[in-house]
Amino acid sequence: MDAATLPIRMILPRQRAGTLRIRAQPWLLLAPSLVFLLAFTYWPLLQVLEGSFRDQAFGSAASWGIGNYARLFADLHFGRAAWNNLLYAVSTIAPSVILALGFALALRETTLFSMAARTLVVLPLLIPLVVAAALFTFVFLPGEGLLDWYLGPLGLRAVNWLGSPSLALGAVSAITVWKNTGYYMLFFLAGLASVSQELLDAARIDGARAVARFRHVTLPMLGPTFGFVLPIALVNALVQVDQVVTVTQGGPSDSTNLLLYYIYQQAEQNHDAGLAAAATVVSVAALLTLTMASLRTMERGIHYES
Amino acid sequence: MPTTEFHMTRRVALGAAIVASAAGLALRARAATEIEMFFPVPVQGKLATEMQRLIGVFNTQHPDIKVTPVYTGSYDDTNFKTRAAIQAGRPPAAAIMSANFIREYVIDSAAIALDELIVNDGGTPQGFMAQFWPALALNATDQGRVYGVPFQNSTPLLFYNVQAFKDAGLDPDKPPVTWQDWVDAARKLSKPGADKWGIAWPNSYDYCGWLTSTLAMANGGQYYDTAYGGQVYYTEPATVAALRFIHDLVHTYKVMPPGVLDPNGTTAAFFSGRVGMILISTGSLGFIRDNMKQPFRTAFVPKNVVNAAPVGGGSLIIPSGNSPERQIAAWTLIKWLTSPDIAGQWSRFTGYFAPNRAAYGLPEMKQYMAANPNAGVALEQLNRYGRGWFATYKTVPVRKAMEDQVQAIMNGDISADAAAAHAQSGADALLRPYLEQTALKLPT
Amino acid sequence: MNRRALPLLGMIVAAAAALVWAVPFAWMAVASLRPGVPADVAALWPAPPLGLGNYLDAWQSGDFPTWYLNTVLVCGGILAVQLVTVTMAGYAFARLRFPGRDSVFVLFLLQLLLVPTLLIAPNLTTIVALGLYDRLPGIMAPYFASAFGVFLMRQAFRAIPRDFEEAAMLDGAGMFALIRHVLVPLARPSLVAFAIVSVTFHWNEFLWPLMAVSSPSRQVLTVGLASFASGSEAGGEWGVLAAGTVLVAGPLLLAFLVFQRRFVSSFVFTGLKG
Repeated sequence: MDAATLPIRMILPRQRAGTLRIRAQPWLLLAPSLVFLLAFTYWPLLQVLEGSFRDQAFGSAASWGIGNYARLFADLHFGRAAWNNLLYAVSTIAPSVILALGFALALRETTLFSMAARTLVVLPLLIPLVVAAALFTFVFLPGEGLLDWYLGPLGLRAVNWLGSPSLALGAVSAITVWKNTGYYMLFFLAGLASVSQELLDAARIDGARAVARFRHVTLPMLGPTFGFVLPIALVNALVQVDQVVTVTQGGPSDSTNLLLYYIYQQAEQNHDAGLAAAATVVSVAALLTLTMASLRTMERGIHYES
Repeated sequence: MPTTEFHMTRRVALGAAIVASAAGLALRARAATEIEMFFPVPVQGKLATEMQRLIGVFNTQHPDIKVTPVYTGSYDDTNFKTRAAIQAGRPPAAAIMSANFIREYVIDSAAIALDELIVNDGGTPQGFMAQFWPALALNATDQGRVYGVPFQNSTPLLFYNVQAFKDAGLDPDKPPVTWQDWVDAARKLSKPGADKWGIAWPNSYDYCGWLTSTLAMANGGQYYDTAYGGQVYYTEPATVAALRFIHDLVHTYKVMPPGVLDPNGTTAAFFSGRVGMILISTGSLGFIRDNMKQPFRTAFVPKNVVNAAPVGGGSLIIPSGNSPERQIAAWTLIKWLTSPDIAGQWSRFTGYFAPNRAAYGLPEMKQYMAANPNAGVALEQLNRYGRGWFATYKTVPVRKAMEDQVQAIMNGDISADAAAAHAQSGADALLRPYLEQTALKLPT
Repeated sequence: MNRRALPLLGMIVAAAAALVWAVPFAWMAVASLRPGVPADVAALWPAPPLGLGNYLDAWQSGDFPTWYLNTVLVCGGILAVQLVTVTMAGYAFARLRFPGRDSVFVLFLLQLLLVPTLLIAPNLTTIVALGLYDRLPGIMAPYFASAFGVFLMRQAFRAIPRDFEEAAMLDGAGMFALIRHVLVPLARPSLVAFAIVSVTFHWNEFLWPLMAVSSPSRQVLTVGLASFASGSEAGGEWGVLAAGTVLVAGPLLLAFLVFQRRFVSSFVFTGLKG
């Protein structure tokens, strides 16, 4: 037992407090946080679990069972939302993480140029996603929008980026990538700064070329950074739906329907509390599973390298 | 269904409240009844500001009532917010509700019937509705009982660019009347390689369903059961054929751009000359008038079998859960807002119709109609060919069941017949619980 | 490839990419300063006529003063309560041993994943039941406990040498006084970092405030912008929309550009340590 964690009464023999008061102190300190944690995280979780098993069809009494889950998995919209979310996760996490790492590698000097470039890339972090969505509505506007206007001469005439089921999800993902890359870049910058220069020098002396140095020294040492960025990116892929709510409303033809948007629709629009609850349970379970799986894979990767 | 005793009790309560409030007024300076009214702004233009102004006038003229206008977004958003407020126990006293949502409010008992209030004024429900254009009664009443008072109404209208017509060798005085004319004109206006199109319309959620029903009805179809919220006719031959028409416009005649356009995108394309003809709400007339630099005109929606134009727009409802005092205050507001004078003002500002027929007899309105022939076209279409707006149990998802398919058709992902089948099966699944409790519930 | 060429190529590519990244902002700035509806509204260079007409229009069409006020109240309210809860809980985990500590720690850990945004449906029911629907505290309540902040403070407190505390305790300081007068001042950098991250996040939040509040008088900037931008009032007037986005995002962007180093280190610091 180290000094940092000695029970208080051993440090303060003069403290007059009775044992009961000492024992209560940690809980007193934790109480405010716990109250809100229980009220707004764990109680809702229980509620959602319970609600997902309460089946209430129009006009009839509520019954207990897996009816909501049956309806959920039979609902094509849910399947579509789940599939879209998977695509959305891949098409936002991979590019933003790779780009973030790329930017970090290229811009880690403290020159004016690098700092200016880094600032530009980080700016989207500071604005709300709905602002990004509003700006990109114009970027993607058919005909007069930024993309079509400047790419028009290259032959891409009046593409309706947000209006085609095959392109809309990509467009929505682009907004997210634009927004998140700068944030992840900050962590890679910090991670790179902590990569041991001696190891890199040793590797260079050993004749390793730039790419090999990167693969065998830098990348493994960035393991903890990845371990931090990936769960955040996973949560973001589930939670960042503002642009769907304001711009595409899940369309066209369900092509930008995402899990959280589906939940929002069932709760707010269709007043189907049971379906919303079941969908929440499934989404949370998927998030927890994916996060644990990704962390475990990373852990194994790090151990293997070192 | 409320029983007669319940009726009597409610009427007595209302009557008592009226007497009490009159007595209260007489006895002392009474604090104003404070109520809120949720209102949407579903079309382009500075409508929220104008609504604030109108409510300001009302408050000045009625010192015993203080209305706070609450802007609640689109028709869909207004619906969600009203429902949420009702569930939270704090319903607004009045709300301008999309006319096609009223049926669901009736099914869910989320709005009160206005018959008692009408009768207390000395009228009858039928007599009350007679002041409005006939087609509006389809969405405002349920089995003869009045639930909504029409406030603003629209129909789809064909807008066309006069200069583009002349340039294409078309006669601006002879707009297309049938679908054949329409396609012929569109072909002359289109140059797909140069991003010039003959026809476009908004097919984002809500608009898509509205305009699809328009085409189905113009093809002779019913599209939905106007008397009962449990049935839709997505696979009737007329509707399937209308879907094929949409498919052909994009993929065969190539006169309509593929992909989904929202109202802003549609009007932007019209303003910039990318599209020669658009189908859009008459409610956008004011906005288009202000922003279209080139001359334009309007015409009826072309027909294939019959002329048809479903109404759109909003009616004022009183959500359930309001006290009798609040109901009375709301009723005063509603009567004022839907009176000929105010309805006329709102109509001239927005481009919506005045639902109150008497509005068109007033001098300002006559002047306005004389100066704006386009408004006259819209009114005539409403009067002669107005139809009901799609409304069912769970209107939004049932509507989306068709909209998702139409969007897919426009993107070339599916054939019309398959789309209709998918839409119908999706709708059937959604309507099933309601059917089982109503039409399928036979006596034992 | 030449040893010199690779980094240079990387820099050029990065520079080009950074410029691409800046394009939406460039358009936002330029379009907001061009009143009317110019034909080439996609232009990225300011071309006359320039003016502040769009800002005037945006200001009048929206209710920015109310939105600013509500946003400041919400962010300030959340932060005020968070500072109290995370300091206390952070201390408990940093310095105290008690039965059940590890289990409770896991509860906090999970909240990093189970963000309130995921639980909007049941949380809405809760605040309705508490009578907080359509009230600013209703927006704030789910965030009063911050696992993120608790971990941050835990790390911060653990890094402070015990000497300070022991001296204060020998002087007879009680636990709360100890936290308030000794530890908090010493942990200020962490608190400031946390404050910056918290305010940024809540200033920019959208879905929960959208659902928790319906009256326009209680809307925050993001919700206000969404209703303002969803076509109706702005109706295709892109310059006005751009001006509106500047009004919403402006304050934070300005703060960032002035206190850049502080912002950046806050985000990094809180991320890696938290």
